[in-house]
Amino acid sequence: MNAENPEALTPRREFLRRGLQAAAAVAATGGLAAWLWNRHPPGDFSRQAVFDPRRDFSPRVGGPRMSIATGHDRSRMLDGALKALGGIGRFIAPGDRVMIKVNAAFATPAALAATTHPELAAALVRLCRAAGASSVLVTDNPINDPASCFELTGIGQAVRQAGGDLFLPSTGAFRRGSLPGGKLIRNWPVLNEPFTGITKLIGVTPVKNHQRAGASMTLKNWYGLLGGRRNQFHQDIDGIIVELAMLIRPTFVVLDGTQSMMTNGPTGGSLADLKDTHTLIVSTDPVAADAYGSTLLDKTFRDLPYLVRAAELGLGTADFESLHPIRVEAAPS
Amino acid sequence: MHSTSTRIPGPGEKAVSASVVVVVAGVLVGMFLQQARFSPAVQVAGALAAAAPASVGRQDLLSPWPAGSAPMGASEAFSAATLSDKIDGKAELYLSAGFVRLDCQRIRMGADPDSWIEMFVFDMGTPSNAFSVWSSQKRPDASDAGLADYSYRAENELCLVHGKFYVEMVGADARPSTLQGAEGLARAFVDRTAVTEHANMGSEQALFPKENQIPGSVALVSSDVFGSDRLKSVFLGRYKEGADEVTLFMARRNAPANALREAADLRTFLVQDCGGKEVAPKGFQSPGIADAGRTHAPSAGALTIVDMGGGFDAVFVSGPYLAGVHQAASQAVAERWADILRRRIEGGPR
Repeated sequence: MNAENPEALTPRREFLRRGLQAAAAVAATGGLAAWLWNRHPPGDFSRQAVFDPRRDFSPRVGGPRMSIATGHDRSRMLDGALKALGGIGRFIAPGDRVMIKVNAAFATPAALAATTHPELAAALVRLCRAAGASSVLVTDNPINDPASCFELTGIGQAVRQAGGDLFLPSTGAFRRGSLPGGKLIRNWPVLNEPFTGITKLIGVTPVKNHQRAGASMTLKNWYGLLGGRRNQFHQDIDGIIVELAMLIRPTFVVLDGTQSMMTNGPTGGSLADLKDTHTLIVSTDPVAADAYGSTLLDKTFRDLPYLVRAAELGLGTADFESLHPIRVEAAPS
Repeated sequence: MHSTSTRIPGPGEKAVSASVVVVVAGVLVGMFLQQARFSPAVQVAGALAAAAPASVGRQDLLSPWPAGSAPMGASEAFSAATLSDKIDGKAELYLSAGFVRLDCQRIRMGADPDSWIEMFVFDMGTPSNAFSVWSSQKRPDASDAGLADYSYRAENELCLVHGKFYVEMVGADARPSTLQGAEGLARAFVDRTAVTEHANMGSEQALFPKENQIPGSVALVSSDVFGSDRLKSVFLGRYKEGADEVTLFMARRNAPANALREAADLRTFLVQDCGGKEVAPKGFQSPGIADAGRTHAPSAGALTIVDMGGGFDAVFVSGPYLAGVHQAASQAVAERWADILRRRIEGGPR
């Protein structure tokens, strides 16, 4: 047959030859890509199973949801605000294992109000202990070196003296998690270890201006539960704060506006950045707490896109007056 | 002679070829979409870095230390990639102003363990960048410290500009002994740190009118001026206007054409992005004034007035200067201050 019509067969041979070459090229390229593809991004977290990092410690029983104390003494304001909501016993039961997420982001003195005030942290620990908590763990994953932050802010010593325990995060304390419905917290290291056995979660943080987010308050405080190169989340600071609101449902939050950092936040640096605003908020709704806190910074919640979005997603209410907050005046010390 | 190159493909071959092209195009589109999507998880390479200590600086910030001061630990160093590990969301302020490097160290003052200072030395690349971050953070009640190129004290803090360096001394308290210690450290730094060029913004500052100027309010803003990402390196000065305030702005560009282009950009930003409404100037005493009803494309000498619905902005160009007024309470106030500023610029240095 070939001998009869060799020219007619040439295209077929050519087709087969080229086809085999093309197949070999595709196979080689695919093989190279498979070889180069890193199925496990670098880091110790990469080979762990991704978990759902959401934590819901919100109170199951009804009652008032927000109180606003005014005064000068943080401990007294905290005491008054909690009593207005039914007392610490409404939230903390005997035997509870409590975690307190403070803001210890910077190794700066308490006087600069860039971090949770040690007196307030200690007062919370004492109240939880008095309510019968079997353990009170205080933690944060600070921006700066954890040991320096807890010591120079005074939080470390204050917590220890009040009967609490400190948890300083190390690499092994984080686990890769993906927030269902989240776009940013995906395969991301989230603080995990200290949550083991925890039954109640409290967030406590000061009111601060934030150059990037507009304000740093109770929702932004959960940022300290993230590990890794989290600074890249500053590309979408509103998005990450909203996801943090989805991530954590605390038992309650304490927003300290005794002094508010009006400018140059979140680090501040000068006492001149602070304004005496004589207010402390306790709420089971962090969105409402932050909405009120925004007023201490001469803003409204509408100036903070993350609060607007969190409210739209039903993560809380920005209309804090709808919670009928109980206003109390703390007795002077 | 029969040739394969001239043979017309059959319908089946065409269909197969088209299918291959469609599949390849689909893969390309998929790759594009995947790459375009922000996925921080793929950057987990540095996942452990946040828990790791900051990089150790090259050496003590000062050596030897002034009498009565001693380091509490090693110095730390931060690059543009790691600056937010130290100062979180405030990093943007420095990064947008040309930040190069931060060295910082805590220093104990005397024998009191509670008396300490953290010294931050920001290398901002140029003296004007250093002036920018210094002036834009200057506290309202700050007092002149009389040090270096520019300096001020604000309660527990001492801040200065020395050439390309912006230096912050943050005291743990505002006791006089702590502040004296900060001043000693600052003098030692200035004396021992040679710079090739000093910061001198005097010519720009001199163009701002003095009357009703809020003291110390002239600042150089590096980026995102008034929220516009196209407006950079602009001097601002704040003024009392009755019970209100008004802001004057000014920037010298390389050529008048550049100033005109940026004026057009700013007008577009105010009208299109901010929802302002351009209105005709009424009484600006300048040649080239735009007529009512005219489309006010910026031109040399012309004044653009925009009603921002809560204030009035004015924009004009004089030679290489882009200048104007921001957030005036009324159109008349905007035009009056624009005229004052224009006269200062036209009578000032070129």
